[in-house]
Amino acid sequence: MAKHVVSVVLLWAALTAVGEALVFADLFPTVGSHEAEDFDQIFRVLLFMGIPVFNFVVAMLVHSFLRFRAGGPQEGGATFKGTGAIPKVWLLLTSCLAVTTIIYPGLTGLRKLQSEANGYGWADTKGTLIIHVQAFQWGWQYDYQEYDGEKLAVSVFSLHGDGNELVLPLEVGARFEINSTGAAYDFATEEPSSGVLHSFWIPAFRMKIDAIPGRTTTMTVKPTELGDYGRDPAYRVQCAELCGLSHTTMDTPVRVVSQEEFKTWLAEQAKATKK
Amino acid sequence: MAVAATAAAHAHGHAHNRLQLNRVGLWLFFFSESIVFGLLLTSRFFLMGVDREHVDQQLGLIITIILLLSSVTAFTAETAIEQDRRRLASWMLLATILLGVIFTVGVGFEWSIAEFNRKEVFGTVFFTMTGIHATHVVTGVIMLFLVWVQLKRGKFSSRDHFAVSGTVMYWHFVDVVWVFYYPALYLIGNVVTPGQ
Amino acid sequence: MWALRTLSGGLGMGLLFFYIGIGLTAVLRNWFGYPEVWDRDFNVTIGYVFGLLGWVMGMGMWGSWGREWFGLRTHSYYIRGWQRYFTWSTDHKVIGVQYLATFTIVFLLAGLMAMLMRLELATSGLQFFDKSQYNTILGLHGILMIAVAVAAVVGGFGNYFVPLLIGADDMAFPRLNALSFWLIPPVALMLLITPFMGGLEVGWTAYPPLSVQTQTAQGFWNLAIVTFGLSSILSGLNFVVTIIYMRAPGMTWSRLPMFVWSMFVTAWLALFYTQGFAVALLMVTLDRIAGMGFFNADDGGDPLLYQHVFWFYSHPAVYIMILPGLGIALEIIGHFSGKPLFAYRYAVGAFLGILGLSGVVWAHHMFTSGIPNYLHGPFLVMTELISIPTGLIFLSALGTIWMGKLRLTAPMLFALAVIFNFANGGVTGIFLADVPTDIHLQDTYFVVAHFHYTIVGGEIFAMFAAMYYWFPKMTGRMYNMKLAKLHFWWMFIGFNVTFMTMYWPGIQGMNRRIADFPAAMDGINFFISLASFGLGAGFLVFVGNMVYALFWGPAAEANPWGARTLEWQTSSPPPLENFDEPPMVTGHPYDYGLPDAPAHARFGPGLPAGTPAGGGGGGGG
Repeated sequence: MAKHVVSVVLLWAALTAVGEALVFADLFPTVGSHEAEDFDQIFRVLLFMGIPVFNFVVAMLVHSFLRFRAGGPQEGGATFKGTGAIPKVWLLLTSCLAVTTIIYPGLTGLRKLQSEANGYGWADTKGTLIIHVQAFQWGWQYDYQEYDGEKLAVSVFSLHGDGNELVLPLEVGARFEINSTGAAYDFATEEPSSGVLHSFWIPAFRMKIDAIPGRTTTMTVKPTELGDYGRDPAYRVQCAELCGLSHTTMDTPVRVVSQEEFKTWLAEQAKATKK
Repeated sequence: MAVAATAAAHAHGHAHNRLQLNRVGLWLFFFSESIVFGLLLTSRFFLMGVDREHVDQQLGLIITIILLLSSVTAFTAETAIEQDRRRLASWMLLATILLGVIFTVGVGFEWSIAEFNRKEVFGTVFFTMTGIHATHVVTGVIMLFLVWVQLKRGKFSSRDHFAVSGTVMYWHFVDVVWVFYYPALYLIGNVVTPGQ
Repeated sequence: MWALRTLSGGLGMGLLFFYIGIGLTAVLRNWFGYPEVWDRDFNVTIGYVFGLLGWVMGMGMWGSWGREWFGLRTHSYYIRGWQRYFTWSTDHKVIGVQYLATFTIVFLLAGLMAMLMRLELATSGLQFFDKSQYNTILGLHGILMIAVAVAAVVGGFGNYFVPLLIGADDMAFPRLNALSFWLIPPVALMLLITPFMGGLEVGWTAYPPLSVQTQTAQGFWNLAIVTFGLSSILSGLNFVVTIIYMRAPGMTWSRLPMFVWSMFVTAWLALFYTQGFAVALLMVTLDRIAGMGFFNADDGGDPLLYQHVFWFYSHPAVYIMILPGLGIALEIIGHFSGKPLFAYRYAVGAFLGILGLSGVVWAHHMFTSGIPNYLHGPFLVMTELISIPTGLIFLSALGTIWMGKLRLTAPMLFALAVIFNFANGGVTGIFLADVPTDIHLQDTYFVVAHFHYTIVGGEIFAMFAAMYYWFPKMTGRMYNMKLAKLHFWWMFIGFNVTFMTMYWPGIQGMNRRIADFPAAMDGINFFISLASFGLGAGFLVFVGNMVYALFWGPAAEANPWGARTLEWQTSSPPPLENFDEPPMVTGHPYDYGLPDAPAHARFGPGLPAGTPAGGGGGGGG
């Protein structure tokens, strides 16, 4: 018995050591925002906790598979039924593990998500750049409302492949107020339909929230890295809720620029809108 | 190739208490149905909060009393057949059927005078909830009628009347559902008028 | 030609009633003063309800059941030979085989659809299908596989083996059981004609408002799923009553085999929660055909209502899928380890714990759906608490194989693979239960990989384990064990390569339910497609092995595995009444390797002194 325990522990340790290398691997797309750093951090913590658990099961299975087969090299003949202390210890250990995971990174992460000033999805925190997002079948419209207290009248209408971008300034909290409208035109019935569900998602920022007809949802992010779709597909707005025929192509390029560039861009857009 | 046989061929040695199984099955069916009604009831509060629109209070009260009365007659019918009083059972079943029909007509009349349409949200929940409930009432009436016909043919006795008690149990269940639906649709909350 | 007679009766009555329903609706619409008597969605819906009634009545429900309501004599027939599978049979073994055959075909068909999807996804851009075709294939693959996962094990193995395992001669309500099965063919028909009615657009979740707005096919889909739900509820009810009341003398709750325990919990879940799906789709149907406004935000409706009601069923539904799978895994591991099942009571407790928790976790599917902030915390906590009872099932499995004498037959290999795969699916589930990580991972291929690990890796592997375990009992013939093992290794490796890889594009930002994706992910998707074709090809080994064994395989013994449970103590296949003599349970089913353990059961009249009573105190067999 003892030698089996030793060999399983060794196997488990080896598998875990190899597995934990994943924690240091770069699994993620570009870290484009403050929130993305937190996401990657929590993901790594969960990976760090999950790999030993999974590998314990694997080690037990592999060892039993190799050493306890009938007619193979085994001692066998055990008859214990698992009515003693082991199940109780197991129950205690797994409960501790579950409670730990719930508290950290679960609830602590959630608290950060909902209260921190830089704002995750649902927190009602003020970004200084306010953008109304209207999702429709199948594209996006971005109405820039306010920047640093100044009212804006800039609007970007974007369909798949037309190159119109969502432009965001670096290191500025951008608050998206998202709605879904029925602006779409149904080619089959030739009738405009009212709004359906969409989901506003930018992979580089690790954030998404649904666009719902009749409700406004909010999401605040602070970009921390310059980037654009041309060089990095993680910089895109992607619909993440099946919304009908062209759901697959309901995406828009995103470009993060410096604050000066953003002001120039705003001025250009304002001019173009006036014309 | 085919062997025709009586039902008994497969029912080999069924020593289980068939009546007990049927009863438990029926109760599980009610349990399961109550989830349907419960979800619709929850949806009503999810969509409307405690608001409701104007409905005819007198009519609501009258049909509620009628349905509650019908449970009394149904109960009397079941007790009567347990004591082999077929004549009383038959009349009471007929009375239950009649009250059930009046209730259904009352709901239909309420629909026809409703001041809201089915597109707006109170109309949606009102018509759906009363509609699903009325469907169950109509089913119950049909079942009561079938039971009554068999009773007239002398089928049931104090020892063998599961069809009667099962149908009456179903009728009570539908009645209890209305006990929850009536306040949710007629009594609870603030009366609002759409557009204000 | 009984099969022909029954089927033509069912089809004829179905069509007749369908037209009566349509006509009646038109008459009533005219009577109530509607401007048009014909509204396709409306009339067809009512016609379908009538047609469904006509179909089941024509199939034999009238003769064996309906006549009773009118005080007429009922009759039932027992048909021998292959034709009984096409008739209104009330024998639970026939019904089990009917379920299994139906859903094996559906499984292979839906698997083929997965292959078509991977074909399209092999590189970016649209090559083989247009967007509409892709969405239709996607939706059908989803819903057909959900149907397989919900009903193949429960309806197939549950029906066939629960009565055998508890020593009963049939289910508690045999006619209800037949009805549960014969509701399935209309479901399959309605789903399979959707591609010709404009196709599906909304996937298997059918979120409104889109599902209210799309083509007529969606209406068919709704009707099919409500029917399927009805079948599922009725069979759940049947299992609950059967397991409580039909157990043989001596079959106490603490001697119940693990598969029966898992089916008991599953049946409660089906009985309790399936209404959620039905009610959600009823609302969609009313919005579609009666112009109601449950989900129409313009008139005060709310699309989120659907998601709450829908997930109220559909999260417990994943336990309806996985629990019988885990039950089969523990059952088989228990019989092939040469020692007693480890921590039996804790494993039972785990099933009951999952039953209790499953109803209060549904909103973890909605973390990004815009639900209020205060709901996130409680649902995160509840969801992660489920890992505690689930952990006990792993304890039982691992404790049983530890120091055992494992017989690594094909069923045992599949059962062990269930534990491996489900561990993977369980650990990655934490990432999705945790709100901060879920916000990014929701609706990506990470989710796709996760639920394929739990449902395919957990339940479909268990389904194959059960197939190989019980095939000799059901058919009386033995398959080729070498080919079965080949199938296992092929499927195990193909499955893990395909879906382990799939986590990565999910993290990278590839969303699910798309026909096209950024070209930067071409390489990984090509690899996944190749792996999935490999996985798909492996099933040819299975089909070949099974078909050959069915017709030309060597005769199987009554108890080829030397297992203790009741189903192996009767002939292969069992006689109509299951046991020649009434069984009496005298010991625990998993007491292997204990020299002085009493046998699980003995046969013959007369109870030995001190035998505890079984279900309902009634005598068995």
